[in-house]
Amino acid sequence: MGELIPAIWQKYGYVYIQGAWGTVYIALLTVFFGTILGTLLSFLRLSRVRPLQWIVQVYIWILRGTPTLLQIYFFYFYLPRYLPFEMSERACIITALVVNASAYVEEVIRAGIQAVDRGQTEAARSLGMTARHTMTRIVLPQAFKNILPALGNEFIVMIKQASLASIFFIVELTSAFKTVQSATFITIPALIISGAIYLALTTVLSALMKLVEKRLQSND
Amino acid sequence: MIDRTKELIKVTDLRKSFGKLEVLRGISQNIFVGDVVSIIGPSGSGKSTFLRCLNLLEVPDSGSIVFDGQEITGRKNARSIDATRQKIGMVFQHFNVFPHLKVIDNITLAPMLEKHVDRAAAEEQAAELLRRVGLLDKRNEYPTRLSGGQKQRLAIVRALAMEPEVILFDEPTSALDPEMVKEVLDVISDLARSGMTILIVTHEMGFAKRVSDTVLFIDEGQILESGTPEEVFEEPKTERCRAFLNQVLY
Ligand SMILES: Nc1ncnc2c1ncn2[C@@H]1O[C@H](COP(=O)(O)OP(=O)(O)OP(=O)(O)O)[C@@H](O)[C@H]1O
Ligand SMILES: [Mg+2]
Repeated sequence: MGELIPAIWQKYGYVYIQGAWGTVYIALLTVFFGTILGTLLSFLRLSRVRPLQWIVQVYIWILRGTPTLLQIYFFYFYLPRYLPFEMSERACIITALVVNASAYVEEVIRAGIQAVDRGQTEAARSLGMTARHTMTRIVLPQAFKNILPALGNEFIVMIKQASLASIFFIVELTSAFKTVQSATFITIPALIISGAIYLALTTVLSALMKLVEKRLQSND
Repeated sequence: MIDRTKELIKVTDLRKSFGKLEVLRGISQNIFVGDVVSIIGPSGSGKSTFLRCLNLLEVPDSGSIVFDGQEITGRKNARSIDATRQKIGMVFQHFNVFPHLKVIDNITLAPMLEKHVDRAAAEEQAAELLRRVGLLDKRNEYPTRLSGGQKQRLAIVRALAMEPEVILFDEPTSALDPEMVKEVLDVISDLARSGMTILIVTHEMGFAKRVSDTVLFIDEGQILESGTPEEVFEEPKTERCRAFLNQVLY
Protein backbone atom coordinates (compact mmCIF):
# COMPACT_ATOMS: atom_id res chain seq x y z
CA MET A 1 0.00 0.00 0.00
CA GLY A 2 2.82 2.40 0.91
CA GLU A 3 4.27 2.04 -2.57
CA LEU A 4 1.08 3.58 -3.98
CA ILE A 5 1.80 6.94 -2.36
CA PRO A 6 4.65 8.01 -4.70
CA ALA A 7 2.62 6.85 -7.66
CA ILE A 8 -0.40 8.85 -6.67
CA TRP A 9 1.75 11.85 -5.89
CA GLN A 10 3.36 11.65 -9.31
CA LYS A 11 0.07 11.67 -11.12
CA TYR A 12 -2.08 13.82 -8.83
CA GLY A 13 0.46 15.98 -6.99
CA TYR A 14 -0.93 19.09 -8.64
CA VAL A 15 -4.38 18.36 -7.21
CA TYR A 16 -2.92 18.28 -3.70
CA ILE A 17 -0.88 21.42 -4.28
CA GLN A 18 -3.95 23.26 -5.52
CA GLY A 19 -5.81 21.91 -2.52
CA ALA A 20 -3.12 22.99 -0.07
CA TRP A 21 -3.11 26.46 -1.61
CA GLY A 22 -6.91 26.55 -1.31
CA THR A 23 -6.70 25.65 2.37
CA VAL A 24 -4.01 28.24 3.11
CA TYR A 25 -5.93 30.89 1.16
CA ILE A 26 -9.17 30.22 3.03
CA ALA A 27 -7.38 30.12 6.41
CA LEU A 28 -5.44 33.34 5.72
CA LEU A 29 -8.54 35.27 4.68
CA THR A 30 -10.49 33.89 7.61
CA VAL A 31 -7.84 34.80 10.16
CA PHE A 32 -7.23 38.23 8.63
CA PHE A 33 -10.84 39.37 8.40
CA GLY A 34 -11.87 37.38 11.48
CA THR A 35 -9.24 39.27 13.48
CA ILE A 36 -10.39 42.67 12.22
CA LEU A 37 -14.03 41.88 12.92
CA GLY A 38 -13.20 40.23 16.24
CA THR A 39 -11.17 43.26 17.35
CA LEU A 40 -14.04 45.62 16.54
CA LEU A 41 -16.43 43.36 18.44
CA SER A 42 -14.17 43.27 21.50
CA PHE A 43 -14.05 47.08 21.54
CA LEU A 44 -17.83 47.18 21.39
CA ARG A 45 -18.07 44.71 24.22
CA LEU A 46 -15.54 46.61 26.34
CA SER A 47 -17.34 49.90 25.71
CA ARG A 48 -19.51 51.25 28.48
CA VAL A 49 -22.58 51.11 26.25
CA ARG A 50 -24.84 48.36 27.59
CA PRO A 51 -26.94 47.67 24.42
CA LEU A 52 -23.74 47.23 22.39
CA GLN A 53 -22.42 44.74 24.95
CA TRP A 54 -25.67 42.78 24.74
CA ILE A 55 -25.65 42.65 20.95
CA VAL A 56 -22.10 41.29 20.94
CA GLN A 57 -22.97 38.79 23.65
CA VAL A 58 -25.91 37.42 21.67
CA TYR A 59 -23.79 37.29 18.50
CA ILE A 60 -21.14 35.24 20.30
CA TRP A 61 -23.71 33.10 22.06
CA ILE A 62 -25.19 32.02 18.71
CA LEU A 63 -21.91 31.50 16.87
CA ARG A 64 -20.26 29.53 19.64
CA GLY A 65 -23.36 27.53 20.43
CA THR A 66 -24.14 26.21 16.95
CA PRO A 67 -22.03 23.99 14.65
CA THR A 68 -19.80 25.74 12.15
CA LEU A 69 -21.18 23.51 9.40
CA LEU A 70 -24.71 24.70 10.09
CA GLN A 71 -23.51 28.29 9.90
CA ILE A 72 -21.86 27.60 6.56
CA TYR A 73 -25.12 26.15 5.20
CA PHE A 74 -26.93 29.24 6.41
CA PHE A 75 -24.59 31.63 4.59
CA TYR A 76 -24.40 29.34 1.55
CA PHE A 77 -28.16 29.38 1.06
CA TYR A 78 -29.08 32.85 2.27
CA LEU A 79 -26.31 35.20 1.21
CA PRO A 80 -26.80 34.70 -2.57
CA ARG A 81 -30.54 35.05 -2.19
CA TYR A 82 -30.60 38.36 -0.32
CA LEU A 83 -27.46 40.16 -1.38
CA PRO A 84 -27.90 42.76 -4.12
CA PHE A 85 -24.72 41.58 -5.88
CA GLU A 86 -23.32 38.26 -7.12
CA MET A 87 -21.32 36.25 -4.63
CA SER A 88 -19.42 33.07 -5.42
CA GLU A 89 -19.97 29.94 -3.37
CA ARG A 90 -16.44 30.19 -2.10
CA ALA A 91 -17.00 33.78 -0.95
CA CYS A 92 -20.15 32.72 0.91
CA ILE A 93 -18.30 29.98 2.70
CA ILE A 94 -15.36 32.21 3.57
CA THR A 95 -17.80 34.80 4.91
CA ALA A 96 -19.33 32.16 7.15
CA LEU A 97 -15.90 31.12 8.40
CA VAL A 98 -14.91 34.77 9.02
CA VAL A 99 -18.07 35.42 11.03
CA ASN A 100 -17.50 32.21 12.98
CA ALA A 101 -13.84 33.05 13.64
CA SER A 102 -14.69 36.59 14.76
CA ALA A 103 -16.62 35.20 17.72
CA TYR A 104 -13.63 33.22 18.92
CA VAL A 105 -11.16 36.02 18.18
CA GLU A 106 -13.33 38.47 20.13
CA GLU A 107 -12.96 36.30 23.22
CA VAL A 108 -9.21 35.98 22.73
CA ILE A 109 -8.71 39.72 22.36
CA ARG A 110 -11.00 40.70 25.20
CA ALA A 111 -9.31 38.22 27.52
CA GLY A 112 -5.91 39.56 26.43
CA ILE A 113 -6.92 43.15 27.19
CA GLN A 114 -8.50 42.24 30.51
CA ALA A 115 -5.40 40.32 31.55
CA VAL A 116 -3.39 43.56 31.58
CA ASP A 117 -3.07 44.72 35.19
CA ARG A 118 -5.60 47.44 36.13
CA GLY A 119 -2.74 49.29 37.77
CA GLN A 120 -1.31 50.03 34.32
CA THR A 121 -4.46 51.88 33.31
CA GLU A 122 -4.62 53.68 36.65
CA ALA A 123 -1.01 54.79 36.38
CA ALA A 124 -1.53 56.11 32.86
CA ARG A 125 -4.75 57.93 33.72
CA SER A 126 -3.19 59.41 36.86
CA LEU A 127 -0.50 60.97 34.67
CA GLY A 128 -3.30 62.69 32.77
CA MET A 129 -3.17 60.41 29.75
CA THR A 130 -6.43 60.28 27.82
CA ALA A 131 -8.48 57.07 27.67
CA ARG A 132 -7.51 56.63 24.02
CA HIS A 133 -3.78 57.08 24.61
CA THR A 134 -3.96 54.75 27.59
CA MET A 135 -5.52 52.08 25.38
CA THR A 136 -3.20 52.50 22.38
CA ARG A 137 0.10 53.16 24.18
CA ILE A 138 -0.19 51.20 27.42
CA VAL A 139 -2.86 48.50 27.33
CA LEU A 140 -2.87 47.21 23.75
CA PRO A 141 0.93 46.77 23.41
CA GLN A 142 0.89 44.64 26.56
CA ALA A 143 -2.29 42.80 25.57
CA PHE A 144 -0.68 41.96 22.24
CA LYS A 145 1.69 39.55 23.96
CA ASN A 146 -1.24 37.69 25.51
CA ILE A 147 -3.22 37.74 22.29
CA LEU A 148 -0.70 36.63 19.70
CA PRO A 149 -0.19 33.01 20.85
CA ALA A 150 -3.94 32.49 21.10
CA LEU A 151 -4.41 33.95 17.63
CA GLY A 152 -1.82 31.48 16.33
CA ASN A 153 -3.90 28.65 17.75
CA GLU A 154 -6.93 30.12 16.02
CA PHE A 155 -5.00 30.04 12.74
CA ILE A 156 -4.35 26.32 13.17
CA VAL A 157 -8.02 25.72 13.95
CA MET A 158 -8.88 27.60 10.75
CA ILE A 159 -6.63 25.44 8.60
CA LYS A 160 -8.50 22.41 9.85
CA GLN A 161 -11.93 24.07 9.72
CA ALA A 162 -11.42 24.96 6.06
CA SER A 163 -11.97 21.25 5.38
CA LEU A 164 -15.67 21.91 5.90
CA ALA A 165 -15.61 23.71 2.56
CA SER A 166 -14.99 20.35 0.84
CA ILE A 167 -18.64 19.52 1.43
CA PHE A 168 -19.44 22.30 -1.03
CA PHE A 169 -16.83 21.15 -3.54
CA ILE A 170 -14.51 24.09 -2.88
CA VAL A 171 -10.90 23.34 -3.78
CA GLU A 172 -8.90 22.66 -0.63
CA LEU A 173 -6.95 19.80 0.93
CA THR A 174 -9.80 17.54 1.98
CA SER A 175 -11.58 17.91 -1.36
CA ALA A 176 -8.22 17.13 -3.02
CA PHE A 177 -8.35 13.75 -1.29
CA LYS A 178 -11.93 13.24 -2.46
CA THR A 179 -10.99 14.09 -6.05
CA VAL A 180 -8.07 11.67 -6.10
CA GLN A 181 -10.02 8.96 -4.32
CA SER A 182 -12.91 9.08 -6.78
CA ALA A 183 -10.52 9.07 -9.75
CA THR A 184 -8.38 6.14 -8.53
CA PHE A 185 -10.57 4.26 -6.02
CA ILE A 186 -7.50 4.20 -3.78
CA THR A 187 -8.55 5.51 -0.38
CA ILE A 188 -6.02 5.21 2.42
CA PRO A 189 -2.87 6.33 0.55
CA ALA A 190 -4.79 9.26 -0.93
CA LEU A 191 -5.91 10.17 2.59
CA ILE A 192 -2.41 9.87 4.01
CA ILE A 193 -1.06 12.41 1.52
CA SER A 194 -3.69 14.99 2.54
CA GLY A 195 -3.02 14.29 6.20
CA ALA A 196 0.73 14.67 5.77
CA ILE A 197 0.29 18.06 4.10
CA TYR A 198 -2.05 19.21 6.89
CA LEU A 199 0.56 18.15 9.44
CA ALA A 200 3.31 19.95 7.58
CA LEU A 201 1.25 23.16 7.46
CA THR A 202 0.26 23.13 11.13
CA THR A 203 3.75 22.14 12.28
CA VAL A 204 5.42 24.96 10.37
CA LEU A 205 2.83 27.38 11.71
CA SER A 206 3.38 26.25 15.30
CA ALA A 207 7.13 26.63 14.91
CA LEU A 208 6.69 30.14 13.51
CA MET A 209 4.45 31.09 16.43
CA LYS A 210 7.02 29.80 18.93
CA LEU A 211 9.67 31.94 17.25
CA VAL A 212 7.53 35.07 17.40
CA GLU A 213 6.64 34.44 21.05
CA LYS A 214 10.30 34.10 21.95
CA ARG A 215 11.06 37.37 20.19
CA LEU A 216 8.32 39.10 22.13
CA GLN A 217 9.41 37.73 25.48
CA SER A 218 13.09 38.53 25.02
CA ASN A 219 12.51 42.27 25.16
CA ASP A 220 10.90 42.47 28.55
CA MET B 1 8.80 81.32 46.23
CA ILE B 2 6.27 78.93 47.59
CA ASP B 3 3.15 80.58 48.91
CA ARG B 4 2.33 78.38 51.87
CA THR B 5 -0.84 80.28 52.62
CA LYS B 6 -2.42 79.30 49.31
CA GLU B 7 -5.09 76.65 49.56
CA LEU B 8 -4.36 73.93 47.00
CA ILE B 9 -6.99 71.32 47.78
CA LYS B 10 -10.23 71.88 49.66
CA VAL B 11 -12.22 68.76 50.44
CA THR B 12 -15.72 69.17 51.82
CA ASP B 13 -17.91 66.38 53.22
CA LEU B 14 -16.62 63.70 50.87
CA ARG B 15 -18.66 60.49 50.85
CA LYS B 16 -18.17 57.22 49.00
CA SER B 17 -19.80 53.79 49.25
CA PHE B 18 -19.05 50.52 47.51
CA GLY B 19 -22.45 48.86 47.36
CA LYS B 20 -23.72 48.81 50.95
CA LEU B 21 -20.27 49.49 52.42
CA GLU B 22 -19.83 53.14 53.42
CA VAL B 23 -16.11 53.69 52.97
CA LEU B 24 -15.85 57.48 53.28
CA ARG B 25 -18.32 59.06 55.68
CA GLY B 26 -17.89 62.78 55.38
CA ILE B 27 -14.27 63.81 54.99
CA SER B 28 -13.34 67.49 55.05
CA GLN B 29 -9.77 68.76 54.92
CA ASN B 30 -7.86 71.72 53.52
CA ILE B 31 -4.40 71.25 52.10
CA PHE B 32 -2.08 74.18 51.53
CA VAL B 33 0.74 74.54 49.02
CA GLY B 34 3.89 72.91 50.35
CA ASP B 35 2.05 70.86 52.97
CA VAL B 36 3.28 67.37 53.70
CA VAL B 37 0.31 65.39 54.96
CA SER B 38 0.64 61.84 56.26
CA ILE B 39 -2.45 59.68 56.43
CA ILE B 40 -2.46 56.84 58.93
CA GLY B 41 -5.14 54.45 60.08
CA PRO B 42 -6.15 50.81 60.27
CA SER B 43 -6.52 48.57 57.24
CA GLY B 44 -9.79 49.08 55.39
CA SER B 45 -10.44 52.47 56.98
CA GLY B 46 -10.67 54.24 53.60
CA LYS B 47 -7.19 55.79 53.28
CA SER B 48 -6.61 54.60 49.71
CA THR B 49 -10.15 55.44 48.70
CA PHE B 50 -9.71 58.99 50.01
CA LEU B 51 -6.48 59.42 48.06
CA ARG B 52 -7.99 57.92 44.90
CA CYS B 53 -10.96 60.27 45.12
CA LEU B 54 -8.60 63.26 44.99
CA ASN B 55 -7.64 62.49 41.37
CA LEU B 56 -10.98 60.86 40.63
CA LEU B 57 -9.69 57.33 40.11
CA GLU B 58 -12.71 56.77 42.35
CA VAL B 59 -15.73 58.97 41.80
CA PRO B 60 -17.14 60.21 45.12
CA ASP B 61 -20.88 59.87 45.71
CA SER B 62 -21.19 63.33 47.21
CA GLY B 63 -19.19 66.20 48.62
CA SER B 64 -16.80 68.42 46.76
CA ILE B 65 -13.13 68.67 45.91
CA VAL B 66 -11.79 72.03 44.87
CA PHE B 67 -8.32 71.91 43.35
CA ASP B 68 -6.45 75.16 42.72
CA GLY B 69 -9.71 77.10 42.99
CA GLN B 70 -11.55 74.83 40.53
CA GLU B 71 -14.19 72.35 41.51
CA ILE B 72 -13.25 68.98 39.98
CA THR B 73 -16.13 66.88 41.29
CA GLY B 74 -19.52 66.72 39.59
CA ARG B 75 -20.51 65.59 36.15
CA LYS B 76 -19.95 68.90 34.40
CA ASN B 77 -16.26 68.86 35.33
CA ALA B 78 -15.65 65.31 34.10
CA ARG B 79 -14.44 66.57 30.74
CA SER B 80 -11.45 68.44 32.10
CA ILE B 81 -10.35 65.52 34.26
CA ASP B 82 -7.31 64.62 32.14
CA ALA B 83 -5.96 68.16 32.41
CA THR B 84 -6.53 68.17 36.18
CA ARG B 85 -4.81 64.82 36.62
CA GLN B 86 -1.71 66.20 34.91
CA LYS B 87 -1.33 68.45 37.95
CA ILE B 88 -1.91 65.65 40.49
CA GLY B 89 0.79 63.00 40.45
CA MET B 90 0.22 59.59 41.99
CA VAL B 91 2.59 56.87 43.16
CA PHE B 92 1.21 53.41 43.84
CA GLN B 93 2.09 50.60 46.23
CA HIS B 94 2.88 48.25 43.35
CA PHE B 95 4.83 50.83 41.28
CA ASN B 96 2.81 50.26 38.09
CA VAL B 97 5.76 51.14 35.88
CA PHE B 98 5.15 50.36 32.20
CA PRO B 99 6.97 47.06 31.54
CA HIS B 100 6.94 47.36 27.74
CA LEU B 101 8.74 50.71 27.75
CA LYS B 102 12.37 51.50 28.53
CA VAL B 103 13.03 53.47 31.70
CA ILE B 104 13.48 56.72 29.78
CA ASP B 105 10.29 56.16 27.73
CA ASN B 106 8.33 55.47 30.91
CA ILE B 107 9.11 59.06 31.86
CA THR B 108 8.81 60.84 28.51
CA LEU B 109 5.62 59.21 27.20
CA ALA B 110 3.00 61.26 29.05
CA PRO B 111 4.71 64.68 28.70
CA MET B 112 5.17 64.10 24.96
CA LEU B 113 1.62 62.84 24.37
CA GLU B 114 -0.35 65.10 26.64
CA LYS B 115 1.74 68.26 27.03
CA HIS B 116 3.24 68.09 23.53
CA VAL B 117 6.78 68.49 24.82
CA ASP B 118 9.20 67.62 22.00
CA ARG B 119 11.30 64.51 22.35
CA ALA B 120 14.63 66.23 22.91
CA ALA B 121 13.29 68.40 25.71
CA ALA B 122 11.41 65.49 27.29
CA GLU B 123 14.52 63.29 27.26
CA GLU B 124 16.67 66.03 28.70
CA GLN B 125 14.21 66.52 31.54
CA ALA B 126 13.96 62.75 32.08
CA ALA B 127 17.75 62.42 32.24
CA GLU B 128 17.89 65.19 34.84
CA LEU B 129 15.20 63.48 36.92
CA LEU B 130 16.92 60.11 36.62
CA ARG B 131 20.20 61.65 37.77
CA ARG B 132 18.42 63.10 40.77
CA VAL B 133 17.31 59.64 41.93
CA GLY B 134 20.47 57.80 40.91
CA LEU B 135 19.01 55.90 37.97
CA LEU B 136 20.66 57.65 35.03
CA ASP B 137 22.70 54.55 34.13
CA LYS B 138 19.45 52.56 33.79
CA ARG B 139 17.85 54.86 31.23
CA ASN B 140 17.91 52.30 28.42
CA GLU B 141 16.95 49.25 30.49
CA TYR B 142 13.49 47.74 30.64
CA PRO B 143 11.87 48.00 34.09
CA THR B 144 11.96 44.21 34.62
CA ARG B 145 15.69 44.63 35.15
CA LEU B 146 15.13 47.00 38.08
CA SER B 147 14.81 46.16 41.78
CA GLY B 148 11.63 47.13 43.64
CA GLY B 149 13.26 50.23 45.09
CA GLN B 150 14.50 51.29 41.67
CA LYS B 151 11.05 50.74 40.15
CA GLN B 152 9.46 52.93 42.78
CA ARG B 153 12.04 55.68 42.24
CA LEU B 154 11.25 55.46 38.54
CA ALA B 155 7.51 55.73 39.28
CA ILE B 156 8.19 58.86 41.35
CA VAL B 157 10.16 60.64 38.63
CA ARG B 158 7.62 59.54 36.02
CA ALA B 159 5.03 61.46 38.05
CA LEU B 160 7.41 64.42 38.50
CA ALA B 161 7.95 64.69 34.76
CA MET B 162 4.40 66.04 34.40
CA GLU B 163 5.41 68.85 36.80
CA PRO B 164 2.46 68.25 39.12
CA GLU B 165 1.44 70.61 41.91
CA VAL B 166 0.88 67.77 44.36
CA ILE B 167 1.85 64.12 44.57
CA LEU B 168 -0.28 61.43 46.18
CA PHE B 169 1.60 58.44 47.57
CA ASP B 170 -0.35 55.30 48.48
CA GLU B 171 1.86 53.15 50.71
CA PRO B 172 4.89 53.63 48.44
CA THR B 173 7.14 51.34 50.49
CA SER B 174 4.72 48.59 51.54
CA ALA B 175 5.65 46.27 48.67
CA LEU B 176 9.40 46.72 49.12
CA ASP B 177 11.98 44.49 50.73
CA PRO B 178 13.12 46.12 53.99
CA GLU B 179 16.56 47.06 52.66
CA MET B 180 14.99 49.12 49.88
CA VAL B 181 12.61 51.18 51.98
CA LYS B 182 15.16 53.83 52.86
CA GLU B 183 16.20 54.68 49.30
CA VAL B 184 12.59 55.43 48.43
CA LEU B 185 11.82 57.36 51.63
CA ASP B 186 14.95 59.45 51.03
CA VAL B 187 13.63 60.50 47.63
CA ILE B 188 10.28 61.46 49.16
CA SER B 189 12.02 63.41 51.95
CA ASP B 190 14.01 65.35 49.36
CA LEU B 191 10.79 66.15 47.54
CA ALA B 192 9.19 67.32 50.77
CA ARG B 193 12.17 69.58 51.49
CA SER B 194 12.00 71.03 47.97
CA GLY B 195 8.53 72.35 48.76
CA MET B 196 6.40 69.82 46.90
CA THR B 197 2.90 69.37 48.27
CA ILE B 198 2.57 65.74 49.36
CA LEU B 199 -0.16 63.47 50.65
CA ILE B 200 1.15 60.10 51.72
CA VAL B 201 -0.62 57.06 53.12
CA THR B 202 2.02 55.22 55.09
CA HIS B 203 2.69 52.69 57.79
CA GLU B 204 6.19 54.12 58.33
CA MET B 205 5.41 55.99 61.54
CA GLY B 206 8.97 57.25 62.08
CA PHE B 207 8.99 58.72 58.62
CA ALA B 208 5.56 60.30 59.08
CA LYS B 209 6.79 61.89 62.31
CA ARG B 210 9.90 63.31 60.67
CA VAL B 211 8.60 64.76 57.42
CA SER B 212 4.95 65.71 57.98
CA ASP B 213 3.46 69.08 58.73
CA THR B 214 0.12 67.40 59.35
CA VAL B 215 -0.88 63.88 60.31
CA LEU B 216 -4.42 62.63 59.67
CA PHE B 217 -5.73 59.59 61.48
CA ILE B 218 -8.57 58.02 59.51
CA ASP B 219 -10.83 55.36 60.98
CA GLU B 220 -14.03 53.94 59.50
CA GLY B 221 -14.14 56.59 56.82
CA GLN B 222 -13.74 59.64 59.03
CA ILE B 223 -10.83 61.82 60.05
CA LEU B 224 -10.67 61.28 63.80
CA GLU B 225 -7.46 63.21 64.43
CA SER B 226 -5.75 65.97 62.55
CA GLY B 227 -2.74 67.82 63.84
CA THR B 228 1.02 68.16 63.95
CA PRO B 229 3.00 64.93 64.33
CA GLU B 230 3.60 65.83 68.00
CA GLU B 231 -0.10 66.30 68.65
CA VAL B 232 -1.20 63.08 66.96
CA PHE B 233 1.65 60.81 68.01
CA GLU B 234 2.36 62.13 71.51
CA GLU B 235 -1.08 63.19 72.71
CA PRO B 236 -3.79 61.51 70.65
CA LYS B 237 -7.20 62.77 71.69
CA THR B 238 -9.22 59.67 70.77
CA GLU B 239 -9.09 56.22 72.29
CA ARG B 240 -9.16 54.64 68.81
CA CYS B 241 -6.05 56.50 67.68
CA ARG B 242 -4.24 55.60 70.91
CA ALA B 243 -5.11 51.93 70.41
CA PHE B 244 -3.99 52.07 66.78
CA LEU B 245 -0.65 53.69 67.69
CA ASN B 246 -0.08 51.17 70.47
CA GLN B 247 -0.55 48.41 67.96
CA VAL B 248 1.73 49.75 65.23
CA LEU B 249 4.44 51.08 67.56
CA TYR B 250 4.49 47.81 69.61
N1 LIG C 1 -13.34 48.99 44.15
C1 LIG C 1 -13.85 48.54 45.32
N2 LIG C 1 -14.96 47.79 45.32
C2 LIG C 1 -15.48 47.33 46.48
N3 LIG C 1 -14.96 47.56 47.68
C3 LIG C 1 -13.84 48.29 47.75
C4 LIG C 1 -13.22 48.81 46.57
N4 LIG C 1 -12.12 49.51 46.95
C5 LIG C 1 -12.06 49.42 48.29
N5 LIG C 1 -13.09 48.69 48.78
C6 LIG C 1 -13.36 48.43 50.20
O1 LIG C 1 -13.42 49.66 50.87
C7 LIG C 1 -12.81 49.59 52.15
C8 LIG C 1 -11.75 50.65 52.27
O2 LIG C 1 -10.72 50.36 51.35
P1 LIG C 1 -9.38 51.20 51.26
O3 LIG C 1 -8.57 50.54 50.23
O4 LIG C 1 -9.70 52.63 51.06
O5 LIG C 1 -8.75 51.00 52.70
P2 LIG C 1 -7.31 51.38 53.22
O6 LIG C 1 -7.51 52.24 54.40
O7 LIG C 1 -6.48 51.91 52.13
O8 LIG C 1 -6.75 49.97 53.71
P3 LIG C 1 -5.28 49.33 53.60
O9 LIG C 1 -4.48 49.90 54.73
O10 LIG C 1 -5.52 47.87 53.76
O11 LIG C 1 -4.74 49.70 52.25
C9 LIG C 1 -12.28 48.18 52.29
O12 LIG C 1 -13.21 47.43 53.03
C10 LIG C 1 -12.24 47.68 50.85
O13 LIG C 1 -12.45 46.28 50.81
MG1 LIG D 1 -4.84 51.17 51.01
